[in-house]
Amino acid sequence: MAAIVGNFSGLASVVLNRSLVMMSEWLHHLRHYWWVFLLPAAGAALSSLFLEKVVNEGAGHGVPEVIYSVSRYGGLLRFRSSFSRLISSCLTIGSGGSAGPEAPVVISGAAIGSNIAKYFSLNDRQRVTLVGCGAAGAISSIFNAPIAGMVFAVEVIVGEWKSVNIVPIAIASVAGTEISRLLQGNQITFSHHLFNIDLLNIFACLGLAVLSATASILLTRMLRSMHTVSHKVSAPIWIRAAMGGCAVGIIGLFLPVVLGEGYHTVKILIEGEYGQVLAVVALASFAKIAATALTLGWGGSGGIFAPCLVIGSLIGVTYHHLLALFWPSASWVNEGYYALLGMAGLISGMLQAPLTGIFLIIEITGGWEVILPLIMVSAFTTTLCHYFEPASYYLKDLVEHGHLLRPGTDARVLSDLNVPELIEKDCIIVNQNMLLRDFVTIIKKSHRNYFPVEDEKTGKFLGIIHLDDIRQYLFDPVMYDAVFLGQIMNTKVEVAHPDDDLLDVVRKMDMKGLYSMPVVVNNRFIGLISKATILDQYRKELMVQTSH
Amino acid sequence: MENRLLHIFRNNPFGRETLLQSIYFCNKVGASPVIYIPKTTKFLMYFDNDVVQVDLDKSYLTSPETAIKNATELVEQAGMNARFFDPKHFTASTLPDIHTNFDYMCCPRSISDMSSKIGLGYIGPRVRRIVKAARFPVLITSPAFKPWKSITVFFGGSVNAVKALRLGFHVARSSGMSIDVFTQTGKYSEEDCMNMIKERNLEKEKDLYINEWHFFENNNFEDNLYEVPHDALVILGAYGHGVIKDILFGSKLEKIQSTISNNLLVAGPNYTTIL
Repeated sequence: MAAIVGNFSGLASVVLNRSLVMMSEWLHHLRHYWWVFLLPAAGAALSSLFLEKVVNEGAGHGVPEVIYSVSRYGGLLRFRSSFSRLISSCLTIGSGGSAGPEAPVVISGAAIGSNIAKYFSLNDRQRVTLVGCGAAGAISSIFNAPIAGMVFAVEVIVGEWKSVNIVPIAIASVAGTEISRLLQGNQITFSHHLFNIDLLNIFACLGLAVLSATASILLTRMLRSMHTVSHKVSAPIWIRAAMGGCAVGIIGLFLPVVLGEGYHTVKILIEGEYGQVLAVVALASFAKIAATALTLGWGGSGGIFAPCLVIGSLIGVTYHHLLALFWPSASWVNEGYYALLGMAGLISGMLQAPLTGIFLIIEITGGWEVILPLIMVSAFTTTLCHYFEPASYYLKDLVEHGHLLRPGTDARVLSDLNVPELIEKDCIIVNQNMLLRDFVTIIKKSHRNYFPVEDEKTGKFLGIIHLDDIRQYLFDPVMYDAVFLGQIMNTKVEVAHPDDDLLDVVRKMDMKGLYSMPVVVNNRFIGLISKATILDQYRKELMVQTSH
Repeated sequence: MENRLLHIFRNNPFGRETLLQSIYFCNKVGASPVIYIPKTTKFLMYFDNDVVQVDLDKSYLTSPETAIKNATELVEQAGMNARFFDPKHFTASTLPDIHTNFDYMCCPRSISDMSSKIGLGYIGPRVRRIVKAARFPVLITSPAFKPWKSITVFFGGSVNAVKALRLGFHVARSSGMSIDVFTQTGKYSEEDCMNMIKERNLEKEKDLYINEWHFFENNNFEDNLYEVPHDALVILGAYGHGVIKDILFGSKLEKIQSTISNNLLVAGPNYTTIL
């Protein structure tokens, strides 16, 4: 089944890839007109209209949606997601918007995997694995990079390094790659160059890591701020997308390097043929960051993978120019070497997934000899980015809303349990007019410490008696016929509702130092929820999640 | 624990009729309505093996400032507490997730048509998907508020029909109403039906709750539907086929809903019986 999913997702990647090439060729003859800056606006507007009006799907590149669904709903994804982002991103990128086709193919592949799992009524764990297979097949196919696809799916999407995931995902990666090779030929995405790397050039990459981390953080923050700003504009979403696209088109008039997914630019940069001075390269880096933020933040459709490659390679070349400027006598390697490292740095920084960055760059350039500096740049950039932005671009929203629930974590286990299944119903209910003497008789027969108190006539929940709170009365027989339970019950008791999230209930218990809480609906006592029962079920759930 | 019915509130006269229907149903079966007042025209429902995106029309967003007040008034008039569902989780940051741990859900025949278009037309694809995926039965209301005074169960002999019959027993027990069962003979005879009841140990419930079991010899199913009391809650099981399959091979559910204007309570293939 992994092979089937890999094939289909690989096919989706090929379709998008070919569509982008066709659209680019189709629009090429329009590039000399003065109004060409309107093309990205039209593309983004159409893309947004398609998502909002035709397929009724929320905009965005979709990878967080896949991770969210894997985290919370066992990888359930809508069928429409298997094609919607392919079409919308084709419109955005093909018309010149600054975005990448990788995230759209990831959600398409993942949705294909999810819907195949649904068709065969597979369980949650199997479905999540097929979602990972879809993502792996898609990345493997679009980059002709099976290892990167596999690593990306496990590191970013599934988040669980277990053989039960890795084996099918590896199969899907191979299937996706094979489909791509069959239909498009076996070519490395970018040309391979040999670099003579000495110790100086290895250590110099540390500075590049700092620059890459800065660019990653800048891109992350600009994407978010553009998103916030665009939502303050009271115009339909397609108008906003057109505004963003128009701004990109205007930038593109002066710096065409910012337009489209930019693979051609990356090729030139790796080959060291860009031939621009430091100021222009630095400006192009910043312009590409701005264009990507304008495209995606204002409602265009696409991903950040390809822009990261372009920005990374531009940052790398900028850094090479800086090195040559400050230390002209040193023997620096060709700028293509720094372009490669910059790409790995940006991917690692934005995704905070160093392995994906390393393997992707190695596979798409065939440059195994740069593996040491690649590891250094990826590791340092990820660390620096993690310090300033604790969650990656994909995970930031999910982390902020508490939606990132990786398997085997506390939040995930608690999210899979709910209040109704933990309610203890074997409680002895007493009423407020009961004498303490009668209550003592009840205590003798009971094994519980908590006793809910209900109104004798209406049955409404009034409060609770905790034996610890009334100990002084229990050991004073004089009080037995003088005290009613209504006088000694705790009426300011924290209560839970069956609809409450268990995580919130546990937090409330921790904050107030409680061991049990009554569950109350419409002023009726339903049962008790206690930490002992939660722990018991928690262990069982943890065993289920961590066993194969 | 109390049973809960999910109701998607539409703040207009048609929505009022539907909510009145839900409240009446809740009163009869001892459930509490949980009302969701949509703030967007889309939301997602995650079931065990499916995710359904419900696309509402804009009439669901009518006068949001009075929606809570109007819904509360209707619920409180019936002597119940109004409870509102506030989504806590969102897919893609914008699509509210509506959880599916309810015991019933109320849907108009098509959840997304403008009220001006609503008639007995057809069951919308979203409602079909919900029926197919849900563990709870779906209450498909009549276009105008119509109190029901008896229960009718359609029993064709399938596994889903048995589920519907069990659901009928549950509603009969809660509401104190008796059941009329309708069976179109052909595939199963009267004797077969009685054997099924016996095999599933439902004889006691049959004697307790069933008023009359009607067996139709006439092959024209639509003609027989005239016998269904106009003021009965009709309970039936559904396979949950898609629209295309239904168009090609026909659907009993579609025939029933397009012929009679009664309230329907539909138990889908994943419905887990309460009894």
